[in-house]
Amino acid sequence: MDFQLPEYNLQLMLPEIVLFVWALVVLSFDLATKRKSGSAVGYLAMAGVLITGIVLAFTGHGQGFGQMFVADSMAVFFKMIFLCAAFMAIGSSFGITKDKIVNHRGEFLGLMLFSTVGMMFLASSNELLSLYVGLELTTIPLFALAAFFKDDKLSVEAGIKYLVVGAFSSALLLYGISFLYGLSGSTDLLLMRLNLAASALMDYPKVAMVFVLATITILAGLGFKLALPPFHQWAPDVYQGAPTPVTAFLSVASKAAGLVAFAKIMVIGLFAYYDPFVAPIDWGMLVGIMAGSAMIVGNVLAVRQTNMKRMLAYSSIAHAGYIMVGMLAMNELGLASVGFYMFAYMFANMGIFAVVALIEERTGSAEIPDYGGFSKSSPFLAVSMTIMLLSLTGIPPLAGFFGKFYVFAAAIRQAGSDPVHQWMYWLVGVGLLTSVVALYYYANVIRTMYFGAQTDVPRIEFTAPALTVILIGVIGTVVFGLMPNVVVEFASQIPISDMIILP
Amino acid sequence: MQYYLILAGILFAIGLFGVITRRNTVGILMSLELMFNAANINFVAFNKYVITGDLAGQMFAIFIVAVAAAEATIGLAIVLLIYRNWRGIDTDNYSIMKW
Amino acid sequence: MESLILSLLIFFPLLGAILVALVPSNQHSTIKGVSLIVSIITMILSFAVYSWFDEVATGMQFEVNYSWVTSLGINYHLGIDGISLLLLVLTTILTVLCIISSWNSVTKGVKGYFVSMLLLSTGMLGVFCALDLFLFYVFWEVMLVPMYFLIGVWGGPRRVYAAIKFVLFTMFGSLLMLVALLYIYFQYQAFSGEYTFDLLKIMGMPIANQAQLWLFGAFALAFAIKVPLWPLHTWLPDAHVQAPTAGSVILAGVLLKMGTYGFIRICLPLFPDATITYMPWICVLAIIAIIYGALVSMVQKDIKSLVAFSSVSHMGFVMLGLFALNMQGMQGAVLQMINHGVSTGALFLIVGMIYERRHTRMIADFGGIAKVMPVFSAFFMIVTLSSIGLPFTNGFVGEFLILLGAFKANYIYGVVAASGVILAACYMLWMYQRVIFGRVTHEENKKLTDLTGREKLVLIPLVILIFWIGIYPKPFLRRIEPAVKVVLSQVSRASTVQLNEKFELEPVPVYGETGEVLEKTLTDNTGANR
Repeated sequence: MDFQLPEYNLQLMLPEIVLFVWALVVLSFDLATKRKSGSAVGYLAMAGVLITGIVLAFTGHGQGFGQMFVADSMAVFFKMIFLCAAFMAIGSSFGITKDKIVNHRGEFLGLMLFSTVGMMFLASSNELLSLYVGLELTTIPLFALAAFFKDDKLSVEAGIKYLVVGAFSSALLLYGISFLYGLSGSTDLLLMRLNLAASALMDYPKVAMVFVLATITILAGLGFKLALPPFHQWAPDVYQGAPTPVTAFLSVASKAAGLVAFAKIMVIGLFAYYDPFVAPIDWGMLVGIMAGSAMIVGNVLAVRQTNMKRMLAYSSIAHAGYIMVGMLAMNELGLASVGFYMFAYMFANMGIFAVVALIEERTGSAEIPDYGGFSKSSPFLAVSMTIMLLSLTGIPPLAGFFGKFYVFAAAIRQAGSDPVHQWMYWLVGVGLLTSVVALYYYANVIRTMYFGAQTDVPRIEFTAPALTVILIGVIGTVVFGLMPNVVVEFASQIPISDMIILP
Repeated sequence: MQYYLILAGILFAIGLFGVITRRNTVGILMSLELMFNAANINFVAFNKYVITGDLAGQMFAIFIVAVAAAEATIGLAIVLLIYRNWRGIDTDNYSIMKW
Repeated sequence: MESLILSLLIFFPLLGAILVALVPSNQHSTIKGVSLIVSIITMILSFAVYSWFDEVATGMQFEVNYSWVTSLGINYHLGIDGISLLLLVLTTILTVLCIISSWNSVTKGVKGYFVSMLLLSTGMLGVFCALDLFLFYVFWEVMLVPMYFLIGVWGGPRRVYAAIKFVLFTMFGSLLMLVALLYIYFQYQAFSGEYTFDLLKIMGMPIANQAQLWLFGAFALAFAIKVPLWPLHTWLPDAHVQAPTAGSVILAGVLLKMGTYGFIRICLPLFPDATITYMPWICVLAIIAIIYGALVSMVQKDIKSLVAFSSVSHMGFVMLGLFALNMQGMQGAVLQMINHGVSTGALFLIVGMIYERRHTRMIADFGGIAKVMPVFSAFFMIVTLSSIGLPFTNGFVGEFLILLGAFKANYIYGVVAASGVILAACYMLWMYQRVIFGRVTHEENKKLTDLTGREKLVLIPLVILIFWIGIYPKPFLRRIEPAVKVVLSQVSRASTVQLNEKFELEPVPVYGETGEVLEKTLTDNTGANR
């Protein structure tokens, strides 16, 4: 065998390299200052994320390492989301790095940055191996982050649950991927797509059995990662137990990473089998059922939650359902709508978690009834939280509404243009009905803040970074709701990226 | 070739069964390793018998081994934390959160 | 200036809301003053629109059309015709009156209250001006939030329940509307190759019959919840009774109109075939609403819920007039929309005034008020009579035209609906009698003070409108007429087969100068009454 050295194009990987080095700097800075770095290390980490963002903006598109590493619109778009989420998560973690984890600030922030690096690699991977490694680099630091409060039983429990589920889902995913590799003869996603399309025509019966097995294990693995029912039970426990900034990061960035993995494997790799006439198993329909049940389960169970973090966990399950609706609509709107939705969801969710973290630090509680009278003591936070909750509900003209609108538009278009996918009308119907349920529980939080029984909520003091995060959340929510143009233009590039050329 | 796949299938099933039924946290971690190795065997077998052109499958297997080790490290660290907090590592101990 | 004025009109209250939000929350009088000035300027702007409006031209006026989300074909497209014009003016007037009326009654959360009022005003004005379906939807949803807070924070004892019920009902309807909207959007793309939400462009698209039925259903459900049409009215009594006075006024005066406005602006022109198919059903529902609302009003013990149920009945009239699908009926319906806003708004204000004094709204707690509060009783009398529809008041003109249209469509509708007018007289007069006349049976009532100057200031404009529309409706009808003609000609696009089968509808309205016809019939009728 003769190997040909591929073209590296290392400069494409510059953002990742910068962030990786920065993570090491953050780690060693904390050590060098003998763990007395205070909040300086936090600012350092935030600056690193910002710089990475700038570098990313100036790094062009292209392919490197043969075709293993791709920087296309989709990759850049999602990397932006990851970086924003990391920035906001670090910003809202100043409270805990100040009081609770005094001796491990550097590790906390470093792990968060490493996880972000993993996500960025994942977004750029064009190949199953690098995709897998990126995915693991994303999740392994998160296991440690979830269990970061070493003496808090809830946090440790969250950590082990997340670890077992994470590793389990990776194993399922790998087992499925190994069959895909066997069937297609390549780990390259584009080659895989072509080969699978060819094998679908040629030796169908031989392929069918194995393919069904592979699809089911992969879907189960991704289902766990995205917390889609019936693989969602871990999410509420982990979200509730983990430190709040980590929960925020999990619910946005790691979800986005799961989406990217899904888009890469299913939408790109298994594209040929999206057509139920060709596929031995209609994975579109399977995911549709998962998405539908995610919307139902997430929204309905969220109604009875009293813990804010747990409620947001269920609501994030529901949001994953909405996003999958857009993902399933494999037309030129589909992936664009997923991108926009994720973008809108990020601002609102990170902002809400920042407020939740602030309240939790002050009162030690994330129970919704304890928010009673919160609007009196901290009107600014209450208004911000209301705006972001309304965005998640999907009230125009906020960004969340536009995301929902975009997703449903994609689904209706798919249902209308392809008779095979008429069942997507049902999905849209379920989505709409459950949105009304969602309105109920989000409004419930607003109601408690404004009209609820008075509890002695002290005035919440906020630090500059937390304020920045909340402002970013609110401004992002409002501005991208009123002027979605910029993001829409950007997002609509996703489906015509280098690797995903949809028909 | 089929034998390898069947072996992998059996390993995977044992691992799956173990993860679901084991009470001991370390036992769960071990079962997870079985599942990873099932995938490894698949990759290597496919690489050896079906796709003989390159070494992607074998490289994949090596990466999986490395990543699984990292995962196990973190896992064992958390198991230690569990022991410190509960004085026991059975899954029954730690299920404070439900529904 | 003319192209800017609609945007200015819509967003001036929003600007005011931001301004008010910047005032420190303990400076109550500044907050009230600023919001009053803002609302008055908005009202003056709407008068300017009214005076610049070309009353004979058909089609939209003051149109502006900018691209908003270019890649999805969403435009910022505004424009008004006669129907929207009157509703705009009504909205701004009622907003001013509401702000004056809540001058003293709001004590907690003053800032939030006035900010909500102004935001609400922006949402309502936007709905009446939007010519882009997406924009329409955005404004439609935007007012949900301030209304939720208005009911939920400043409402009665069961306010939270009422607020949530209101929002859930409306949201359910509007989400259906969203789906229908998207469907049309892609249909239009398939039809013309262009992505657009532009209402005027979509009007030119033929839609298959079957699809029309579904789409009409989805839109109609959203609008019917808002109207509210029986049996979707159950949120209304709760919301009305629990809302603060100003909330009720806005709710009855403007929000309910958005439902009927939606029918005129979207359902009828876009889905002519479905309109014809559904017409008998909706007429029957409207008649049920008329009778049911009236009967339920009769047994209410609470004045406010009586007025709330009478709204169901009155809005039934509006729906009946609309779906009579002829010139008289529809003109009457549009006029009745205004009338209902004026009369019922005034009724709610009056109920609010007496509630502020006595802190009860139970009919049984009153009696003999005429002796203690003569001026109040006089105002109450006028408003009651206008709500019943006595000649020379606004209610008469609207209901008369509607009944005329209903008779023309199908005389059975006319006969049954006319009984609703009699029932209205029963419950309103009976209530009035129990509250105002008789002996003063409760000690507390003896000490009631009569209306203050501020309260008179609130009621006088409404009384003027009541008589103006009642005696000289021509300026209003003239402005409505071209718009209604356009809507009717849109409906007459329905396939002729169906027209002949189902319903005799003149493709082009041939009643000539409706104003004249009306004046003639009016004089005939009032003569007979004497």
